[in-house]
Formats: sequence, structure tokens, C-alpha cells
Amino acid sequence: MDRMKKIRNFCIIAHIDHGKSTLADRLIEKTGTLEKRDMQSQLLDSMELEREKGITIKLTPTRMVYDYNGEKYELNLIDTPGHVDFTYEVSRSLAACEGAILIVDATQGVEAQTLANAYLAIDNNLEILPVINKIDLPSARPEEVKQEIEDVVGIPATHAPCISAKDGINIEDVLEMIVKEFPSPKGDENEKLKCLIFDSYYDNFKGAICLVRIFDGKVKVGDKIQMMHTGKIYDVTEVGIFVPFSKPCEILKAGDVGYIAGSIKNISDVEVGDTITNALNPVETPLPGYKKVKPVVFCGIFPVDGAKYNELKDALEKLKLNDASLEYQPEVSQALGFGFRCGFLGLLHLEIITERIEREFNLDIITTAPSVYYKIHKTNGEVLQLSNPSSLPPPVEIDFIEEPFVKANIFLPPQFVGSVMELCQDKRGEYKDMIYLDQSRVKIVYHLPLGEIIYDFFDSLKSRTRGYASFDYEIGDFVKSDLVRLDILLNGEKCDALSLIVHKDKAYSRGRALVEKLKKIIPRQLFEVPIQAAIGGKIIARETVSAMRKDVLAKCYGGDITRKRKLLEKQKEGKKRMRKIGSVEIPSSAFMSILKLDDEDK
Amino acid sequence: MLGIYVHIPFCESKCCYCSFSSFVKDESFINQYINFLCNEIETSNLKNNEIDSIYIGGGTPSLLDAKQIEKILNSIKNTFTLDKKCEITIECNPNSINFDKLIKFKNYGINRISLGVQSVYDEDLKFLCRKHNVKQVFDALDNINLAGFENISVDLLLGLKNSSFDKFKNQIDILLNKGVKHFSCYMLQVEQGTKLKMMYDNDSSCILNNENCVSLFQQVSSYFNKLGFIHYEISNFALPGYKSLHNYKYWSGEPYIGFGLSAHSYLNGKRIANAYNFDKYFSNEKEFVELLNNSELIEEHIMLGLRYEGGVDINYLNKLGYDIMQNDNLKKYLNQNVIFKKKNRLYLNEKFYSVNNIIILDLI
Repeated sequence: MDRMKKIRNFCIIAHIDHGKSTLADRLIEKTGTLEKRDMQSQLLDSMELEREKGITIKLTPTRMVYDYNGEKYELNLIDTPGHVDFTYEVSRSLAACEGAILIVDATQGVEAQTLANAYLAIDNNLEILPVINKIDLPSARPEEVKQEIEDVVGIPATHAPCISAKDGINIEDVLEMIVKEFPSPKGDENEKLKCLIFDSYYDNFKGAICLVRIFDGKVKVGDKIQMMHTGKIYDVTEVGIFVPFSKPCEILKAGDVGYIAGSIKNISDVEVGDTITNALNPVETPLPGYKKVKPVVFCGIFPVDGAKYNELKDALEKLKLNDASLEYQPEVSQALGFGFRCGFLGLLHLEIITERIEREFNLDIITTAPSVYYKIHKTNGEVLQLSNPSSLPPPVEIDFIEEPFVKANIFLPPQFVGSVMELCQDKRGEYKDMIYLDQSRVKIVYHLPLGEIIYDFFDSLKSRTRGYASFDYEIGDFVKSDLVRLDILLNGEKCDALSLIVHKDKAYSRGRALVEKLKKIIPRQLFEVPIQAAIGGKIIARETVSAMRKDVLAKCYGGDITRKRKLLEKQKEGKKRMRKIGSVEIPSSAFMSILKLDDEDK
Repeated sequence: MLGIYVHIPFCESKCCYCSFSSFVKDESFINQYINFLCNEIETSNLKNNEIDSIYIGGGTPSLLDAKQIEKILNSIKNTFTLDKKCEITIECNPNSINFDKLIKFKNYGINRISLGVQSVYDEDLKFLCRKHNVKQVFDALDNINLAGFENISVDLLLGLKNSSFDKFKNQIDILLNKGVKHFSCYMLQVEQGTKLKMMYDNDSSCILNNENCVSLFQQVSSYFNKLGFIHYEISNFALPGYKSLHNYKYWSGEPYIGFGLSAHSYLNGKRIANAYNFDKYFSNEKEFVELLNNSELIEEHIMLGLRYEGGVDINYLNKLGYDIMQNDNLKKYLNQNVIFKKKNRLYLNEKFYSVNNIIILDLI
């Protein structure tokens, strides 16, 4: 068991921008895992988008070797995604570790995700070691922040190393602490194989790859393995570790972190949180904590150019290869034609996927306003689950509707409490709790409908608190709400892609704002276009786009017809970005613009 | 038959709204240009073709000496065969013609004068940076009549600030009394790179807004109808027998050949433009030569057919492989009386001339 005493499996958790990726880079550099010239800033965030947004989406574990008092220790850093959309993934990554480094910014102190992540680590029985980062900044207040950690998170922080990951100050202290304070893995390599899938990715040659932590037993090429929840059996074709690039090895044993490949064609067969065992000699019970991840935010995605439906389908298939949590199914809209209804883990996930479709696959797409999953209780006792407003049954058939709520924690300076409570109230929030953490920070807890959060909650919160608030939530229960479908009629024809499900009390104001917004973005046409908002058959708001008066190339000078034709062709190009709803042309951007309503009201 | 366009790219000064090819140049440069132009005409590979229209446009052709105009016309006469009824038009500015010059023009065979009036109100002319005033307009028209021209056309601008239908109507009445048979009324357009664009960016109320401009256009159109004029193209109104034969070729797809800087030709389905700058022009370069493909032929036929009385020929489109009658937008427009069909042709309802782009786009 000497081997395991030299292993440390840990992760780094933090609020966004507190320096998680930078510290990871420093550790890799300090342990000489990579030559400096191979380092790319924020190495672990491998996707272009991740680096741009400064967040981690896909995990990359890294094995480092650290010399301490003449002994070589194997440190496995398991990266975690830093966003509330991926809470389940974070929890599975944490379950693969014994320890967690909790980074806190020395100037900002404890934030919403600091707390949320710390609680996740506590739930997973990890040893948590706080680290105070960014001490190089003039406004750093390490001692106060340590106190804050003790008060708010409730873990000892007196001996927390004070570092600057950016300038490489006191990184050695962190490494020492990992070796001294984090427990080594427990387990028995002679037991039956029991290992946890904490992530997966797709390799074009090897198929779906399982990122795993071995708890008991060992696994090598040629073994028959079984996924305990899906029941599927595979032959192991390769095992290996990450340094941080994948590197095949002979065998993975209890305590190790690495990967298993087994010609697994479909990434959906590799479920995060599932337990792998030996098919010939299986364990009886899987590891705890497995959950099937379900999308919570939905939207329609359509190609701008209807002829590119198949290209969009290919793009989604390819993205799905690497992202089992993405769900999609074909959808037909009267307004937008053939497309897909897609499900995401959250708004960020939605944003990432749509951006990747546009960038990596070079496709122009129209996304409809995001919605959540509703439970529709019909008068005949049937219960429907749906996310697409246009599939809502007629009001007479509906007994009541339930919508998902979240428990939201908001951290903010006290002077903004009034304004933020007003915002939460406005978003139909239910006040739960308020705690003064210290003189400069308050935590307020609200129950809020998810459907309201996916409108412009983040933006409003940011603008009301000048960026000083942080926010985190967990999905809670379904709650009965008074919801109705708001329809938009263009020239008297219903445009299904613009329908929304809204709370009855907000229907009027949202309908008004929506028609006003649409009036601004729908260009003038040959005849005037009435824009109406309706609930059931009742019109609640109306605006009119007046008829185009002048669109003519008056002069054909000296027989220059070419210029005229070129101008016309240019105009025709512009028209391609328009969608025709009945006789009305509307710009593709209109469908998403429903989202941005509220900022313009203010 | 073939039409000839000759471009004279010189002006006394640039008007504020003008984005066309015109320059202020000295006498010796102008002479050099005319020599080159005549040579271009005389070496044309369409030599001896029959011609039934000549249009000398610009710029300001009347800026040239009568002798220079004679030289150009002689080059044409020596190279091509002129039809007996050949329409020969010259564009003139009111301040660069006099009785003498006009008599000479008449003697050279010029039989149509297109006068750049723009407005009969001095405040408008000042705003447009025109070099003439209203008195010069009236003098010019008197001289044109005296010299024996009866085919007289004037250009007018629609959309000037403070214009009203009454003012415009008054203007038409005055000009009619002076023997004008043909009006080209262009809606003022703010073009990139013009002085007007700067003025407009600074104060968009310096011209009439689209709404008012279009209503004025519609009132003016119906007034012309009442007077017995034919609204034969978006911007052109003629008394019976006075349509511009030459301009008609542009809409109807007949061939024409252009001589001079940046002049355009349309020959055998090819659109050709002479070079846009002098150096290139003097070395015989073309700005472009494009052979229209099927879809371009279709686009052009619809685009041009819906802007003049000739309409769109359904059979011709069919021959090009486009069955326009199957177009859903067309069906809708026929229902709404935006477009009407007579025999095998489609015509745009006059009321929708001012938005013809939208309609064309829906049909191509």
C-alpha cells in the first residue's frame, strides 16, 4: 500500500475569476510536468471559447510528479467546470478526489460560487484547504478574507497560504500543503474493480473515452468492463494517464486517475457518475451519487438558410459526440421551418453550444427565446411535460401548470440590498433569508422561478449592483403558477416561434414591450404590418409598422444598368437574413430579441 | 436599331448632389479628350451599323464649343449610317447656351434638347449649387424655341426643402407654357461622397423626408396624367409623340453603344463599361465587360420591365427558363393589384413605382 501513500487526488474550486486556471498552470509549471515553452496560458482551458470566456467547460485532469523531502509524490489535479450549469459534473469530479483547494480572491473575498463549491466539497467529504490568491494586488486584504472564510464558509483558514498565482509567489507552499494535508486515497487494488466516471470526451480514433478514478481493483487492456447503470459491456482497448496530454500506460490501479478507452461508439453510453466494474468479476453495488443529468433550459435552433437543415443536424450530432448533456430533437415551426428543439444544462451551456455551431461549423442560425420545462396538468388528469410554448394545449383543457423554481443565493454589498430585493420581487421571487456576513457583505436567499432567471436576471442583477453581486442557484421543485401563453400575431397571423409562456400578471407588460420592440426591428414593407400580442383570442397590445414609402433606384444614368443590378443583388443578399412569416419579412435577430426586453424598459 | 451615347464628363463646377462622372478641366485637356473620343468613335468595330438615336450627355455637353460638338457628330456620321428619323439629343445647362450655339446645334441635325433646369425657384438652385438662376432658365427656353426646337425636355428635382405640390404644379405650368414636351422628375437621392451627404448628415431636414417626397411624387404624377402626359417610366413623363427614343432602349433591352469616359454599352447580351478614370480610358481600357448569364438576364428583364410602360415579357422569361407565373409573390401581387397582367405581359401599378425595389426583389 506504499504506492497509494504517495498519491494525492485533488481539485481546485473557486468563484469565477478568482484564479483557478492560473494556479493550475503554476502547479504544472512548478512540478516540471511541462516545459515552460510548452505552456500556453491557462493550459487546461483547451477550447478557444473557454479561454475567451475565462471559464472551464470541459475537464482535463493532469498528473504531476512532485519531489518532497526526497520522495516522489504523484499529484492528480482534477479540474472542475466553474459554472452553476455544470454543478452535477463538478460534484462528480469532487467525488473523484480526497482534497479540494478553495481559492479565494484576496480583494473580493467569499463569493456565491465560493460557497456553493465549498458546500459541494463538504458534501463529498473532501478535505478543504483554503488558499488566498492575488496578494500582489494593492487592495489585497488577506487577513480579513481569512476571517471571512472562517465566518462564512465555516472552515479554518488561519494557516491558508497567501499566494499570487499570477506572479508565482508562494506556490511551493501550496504544493507542500497538498502533500501534507490531503489524505492519500484509500482502496484495495486486489479488490474487484470499482471506478467512477467523472467525465468523458470523444476521440475520432478511439471512440468515447471515460475519464475515471479507480477506487478499488485494477484495469488493463483486454479486460471486459461493464457500465453499472447502462449495463453495457466493452473490451478495454487502452488505458492511460494525462500529463496533461493523454499517455497510454499498462494498468490503472486503485487510487489512480486516468482514462479508459473501449471502442465505445456513443458518448451517451458513457454517463458521468456511472460506475465501471469488471464484467467477469463485478462488484455488487455501484458508487453513490449517480444521477441522470437532465436539461433545464430549452430553445429552438433553426438554420437561417432553410436548405442547411442537414448541416445543422450534422453540427449537433458532432457536438453531441463530446457533450452527452446536449439534447435535441427535430422540430417544425410554421415560421422557421425545420429545425431542432434543444435542451441545455443552463443558459451558459446554451450560449456555448450556439456559439460553437456558428463558429466551428460556420452556420448561421436562429435561436428562439429560451424556455424551461413546464408540467401541464390537464383537466382529464393527464400530465404533460413540455418546453415549447406552441405545444401548450388550449386553456380549457388545462387544470393547472407547474414551473421549476430554484433556490438562489445572492452575495452583495448591503447598499444594494433594496434594489436587488425589488428585482427578485419583480421576478416573482419568494424571500427566504438574509444574513449579514460582515459589514460589507450580505447574503440573501430567494426562491425564484427558473423561467424568470433565464430572461435577463443576470444582466439586471449586474447593472443594479454595478457588478458587485455574485449569484448561484440550485434547481428546486416544481411550483404551481398562474401561467398563460402569450402569442404574437404579425399581419393577423400567429407566429409560433415568438410565443412565450409568461405569468398572468406580467403578460400585459411583456406583451406591450414585445410589440414595441418588434416594431423597432421589423423593417417597413410594401403594406403596413400590424403587430399584436394576444392571450387566447384576446388582443392585449398592438403596434403598426407603417408601409414602406420609398425604395427605388430612380436614375439609370447613361445606360449604366450594371450598377443598378449590383445594388439590387446586394439588397437581395440582405433579404436572406430575413424570415418570411406569412407575408411579413422579419429579421432573424427578432426571435432572440425577446430576451432583451427588460433592459430597454428601464 | 442601335443607339449611341456620348459622354462629356466636364462641368463648370460640381453640383452638391452629383455622384456621376464629371470633372472640372481646362480647355487643352478637353480638346485632348475630344480628339481621343472621336478616334474611339471612328475606330468602332460596329462601323456602318444603322443608328436611330444619339444622346450626348454628361457632365455638361453644352459647355463645349459648337465646333467641338460638330466634330463629334461628324465622327459619328462618318462612321455609322444614320436613320432618317434619328433622334439626336444634347444635354444643356441654361447658362451655357445662347441663341447662336443653339442655331448651330440645329444645323448639325440635333433635334432634341434636354435642359437641366432642376427648379424654377432661385432658393432651390442656390441650395443645389447650380450655376444658373431662374431668369437664365427662361431665357434659355426662349432661345431654344426661337432656334426652332420643338422636342424639349427638362430635368426637375423632387424632394427639395419647402417644396409643395402647389409650388411644383406652378413650375410645371410655367415650363409647359415655354413649350416643354417632356419632363424627367427625379427624387433627390443622397449619394455617398457628395456635398449633399455631408449636409444631410449634419441636418436631415435639409431635404424633404421620404414620406413627403413620395406623396409629392404621387401628386405630381397624377397632375401629369391630367395634363395628358404619359408616365412611361418611373421618372419620365412625355406628351404623346415625345418619349425619349434613346432612353427607351435602356429599359427595353435594345442595344446601345457608349463612347467616352465611363460610357456604357449593351451589345449582344454583354454589358461593357469604358474605364472610369482618364488615364485608363486613354489607354483604351475597359472598366468591365460582362456577359450576362441566364439569371442575370432574368433579373435585368424584371428589374427594367417593372420600371417602364413596356412591362415584363412572360414568354421571354419562360424562354430563359423562369416560369414567373408560378412565383407565389407574383400571385399575391396580382391579387393585390400591385402588378397587373395584360396579354402576356406584367406591368407595375403606377402607385407602386416608388417602392419598386421591394417588389422586384420578391420576383427574382
